[in-house]
Amino acid sequence: MRTGVIGLILPPTFSFLEMMWRICPALAVGCTVVALVPPASPTPLLLAQLSGELGPFPGVLNVISGPASLVPILASQPGIQKVAFCGALEEGRALRRSLAGECAELGLALGTESLLLLTDTADIDSAVEGVVDAAWSDRGPGGLRLLIQESVWDEAMRRLQERMGRLRSGRGLDGAVDMGARGAAACDLVQRFVCEAQSQGAQVFQAGDVPSERPFCPPTLVSNLPPASPCAQVEVPWPVVVASPFRTAKEALLVANGTPRGGSASVWSERLGQALELGYGLQVGTVWINAHGLRDPSVPTGGCKESGCSWHGGPDGLYEYLRPSGTPAQLSCLSKNLNYDTFGLAVPSTLPAGPEIGPSPAPPYGLFVGGRFQAPGARSSRPIRDSSGNLHGYVAEGGAKDIRGAVEAAHQAFPGWAGQSPGARAALLWALAAALERRKSTLASRLERQGAELKAAEAEVELSARRLRAWGARVQAQGHTLQVAGLRGPVLRLREPLGVLAVVCPDEWPLLAFVSLLAPALAYGNTVVMVPSAACPLLALEVCQDMATVFPAGLANVVTGDRDHLTRCLALHQDVQAMWYFGSAQGSQFVEWASAGNLKPVWASRGCPRAWDQEAEGAGPELGLRAARTKALWLPMGD
Amino acid sequence: MSAYNRGTELDLSWISKIQVNHPAVLRRAEQIQARRTVKKEWQAAWLLKAVTFIDLTTLSGDDTSSNIQRLCYKAKYPIREDLLKALNMHDKGITTAAVCVYPARVCDAVKALKAAGCNIPVASVATGFPAGQTHLKTRLEEIRLAVEDGATEIDVVINRSLVLTGQWEALYDEIRQFRKACGEAHLKTILATGELGSLTNVYKASMIAMMAGSDFIKTSTGKETVNATFPVAIVMLRAIRDFFWKTGNKIGFKPAGGIRSAKDSLAWLSLVKEELGDEWLKPELFRIGASTLLSDIERQIYHHVTGRYAAYHDLPMS
Repeated sequence: MRTGVIGLILPPTFSFLEMMWRICPALAVGCTVVALVPPASPTPLLLAQLSGELGPFPGVLNVISGPASLVPILASQPGIQKVAFCGALEEGRALRRSLAGECAELGLALGTESLLLLTDTADIDSAVEGVVDAAWSDRGPGGLRLLIQESVWDEAMRRLQERMGRLRSGRGLDGAVDMGARGAAACDLVQRFVCEAQSQGAQVFQAGDVPSERPFCPPTLVSNLPPASPCAQVEVPWPVVVASPFRTAKEALLVANGTPRGGSASVWSERLGQALELGYGLQVGTVWINAHGLRDPSVPTGGCKESGCSWHGGPDGLYEYLRPSGTPAQLSCLSKNLNYDTFGLAVPSTLPAGPEIGPSPAPPYGLFVGGRFQAPGARSSRPIRDSSGNLHGYVAEGGAKDIRGAVEAAHQAFPGWAGQSPGARAALLWALAAALERRKSTLASRLERQGAELKAAEAEVELSARRLRAWGARVQAQGHTLQVAGLRGPVLRLREPLGVLAVVCPDEWPLLAFVSLLAPALAYGNTVVMVPSAACPLLALEVCQDMATVFPAGLANVVTGDRDHLTRCLALHQDVQAMWYFGSAQGSQFVEWASAGNLKPVWASRGCPRAWDQEAEGAGPELGLRAARTKALWLPMGD
Repeated sequence: MSAYNRGTELDLSWISKIQVNHPAVLRRAEQIQARRTVKKEWQAAWLLKAVTFIDLTTLSGDDTSSNIQRLCYKAKYPIREDLLKALNMHDKGITTAAVCVYPARVCDAVKALKAAGCNIPVASVATGFPAGQTHLKTRLEEIRLAVEDGATEIDVVINRSLVLTGQWEALYDEIRQFRKACGEAHLKTILATGELGSLTNVYKASMIAMMAGSDFIKTSTGKETVNATFPVAIVMLRAIRDFFWKTGNKIGFKPAGGIRSAKDSLAWLSLVKEELGDEWLKPELFRIGASTLLSDIERQIYHHVTGRYAAYHDLPMS
């Protein structure tokens, strides 16, 4: 079902084609668009003229030409259902913070830098042409980080410098230029970058036939820039290329993945195995093998990490503008007086409830972290009451240190789990389903104590086991090939795990919701840190007893405690790759605000209840979409 | 014509690690045609320059002294006199670079050029042109006879079977023998790239040919199914540049076959300028092997001067 009104915010560096790529899918699925474009460039005026020509449907595409200060005003308009922002990192972050809790969803596409990895088995001349395509032409959006294998460093640098000498820059309408200009602001940015780099000891080489007037900046090659220098932390501006060496392919992956940017990359190697290994290992949204900058509307283009997680093109681009049918439009849960600094900071202490009568319950559960039950750092527990007010059991009071330990355990388990084949993952999920069924009577009796009827409780347990099996089976279907016009060779749309996924379960459906969220996350190769239902975490902890035997250590970690406090710790954690929150409206707002830290994708319920027993909401395709991220792998062929 | 490439020792490490990525080279080839366009008086200047690079060629079974004579006169006066006068270029000595014929017709060509009072070199094809599948002894003898008859440039074909089976030393030795048989004449080595199978083989064959002492490397005989295309040319030009970086020797480049329109010839000039630079845009280092190209260039110049399109009969036949 289509989303509604989209507010689109475009940066000044976008070409007409790129604007169209974001507007047309939105219009195609039936949304209407309000585009805010910067006033300095003439291209948006063409856009406005086109939208004026949409005769029978006025108002389908609206164009406002205005300064960046209008961005928050547009974003907080009540009628807008989704805001899609393309532009610089800091502005995206600020927008994410200001839009927390508003009724509009936010999609971010940030950053323009890309990466080129040149191994010693590459065709170096062609890779140099790839560098020209990426950074020293009008096709590339931004600067380039160039990683060159040490053994071919001299060759590559010599050819790069020779090639730079032949580049021509000038006005776009001159038929014989390679690159134009992008405005005085961009030119200033380059000057500052170059000066800083030189002051930090880098070597700067500039060449090319470039007019010396103001907005034209020459192609620039920077080498010997130490990685620890502040210059190397920011994004590389256009048209600068920062070159660094690496020794082996494995080191290349570490260096390449060692930045917060995750947009696009190309791998140049004539050895198929090595090229594919590098392609699969890079944490970016698009990988080209022996090419750079190829684009097609049917291939999804987007990023991960700090490049934002919104997509355009391909099926993912369409999903940006759709939402599952039957879900209501987002409600605004904005509470103006939510204090982000104090939310969930202190844990309210609970006094013991009076003398306890009756047999003592089982010893308190610990936290399930790293494959076994551990005592919490705070060494305290909280009581859990059943539906008639009696004491049901004690669970651990988890805190910030426990969250930290859980996330570390999840990270340790992640490479092994992500490397498993879909079949192996499915087998483990099926094993857990079988274990759940063996434990049916215990789980059903606990659910009864929480107020469910016996029949309903048993049905819930059965449904949970069924869902585990279903997700195991669903993940067998893997990346498929896209049809791309004009390219000889396949383009693969891979679905890769996000990393460590933090899940805060809802209060209702303590068993079913827990399992329904656990299953897709694990099935797609993520490791999870879960905060179970605050009302009755005992069901989740029962399942943990089975997970201790069935799953490898650290795969699923369960931390109990004060929900708001744990949510705060998880949301602010920079090494959690995504977060799903099904708690209160205030909590949702906080989670969205805090995600601006590392721009993790969040899925927050905003306080709306969700029918976990319905197939569409409890086990629908939306869960599968959110549990993984896409990567487009281009493989041009020919000899 | 006096200095010639004496070649270097065979060094297989120059070709052992080379890789050429075909789709990337194709993309570069498309870009060059699109990105460097020349218009108006600059286009006319480039076209006249292109004329000075042409090796006017006739390689048919039915060549006789009459059409050779016509060809040689056209080589001396490639563009109609009044058109050159309108461009103020009539006194710059614009002729084609050479005339290219079969060995049996070299005598006729030399005689015709002497009668016309022109000192353009006569190039002869040799060594079993176009297939090269004859014995080495007869191939060498062909070269010697052509040089005796007065050819100052020899276009030889390499033995493709040696490339396809990877016998690089044998290829080097053969071309070395061609070099010796040529003596002081210019050696152009035709790689027949359409039959070499892959771009990597083209690069390797180019390097071996230059190491063995070729003055020019030439893309094709003109008789294959695929002759001179931009991807192949890019690979050969990169080989020429790498040879220059390693030894300091400048080797020439000649595409032949399939170049028929003036627009194509401008794209070829752009390609050489982009990949190698202006120093290679001289008849000593760049030739175009063509026959009908000249009439198309003449028609473009006619259009530039008069503003009208010419019919074929307006311009003298070659």
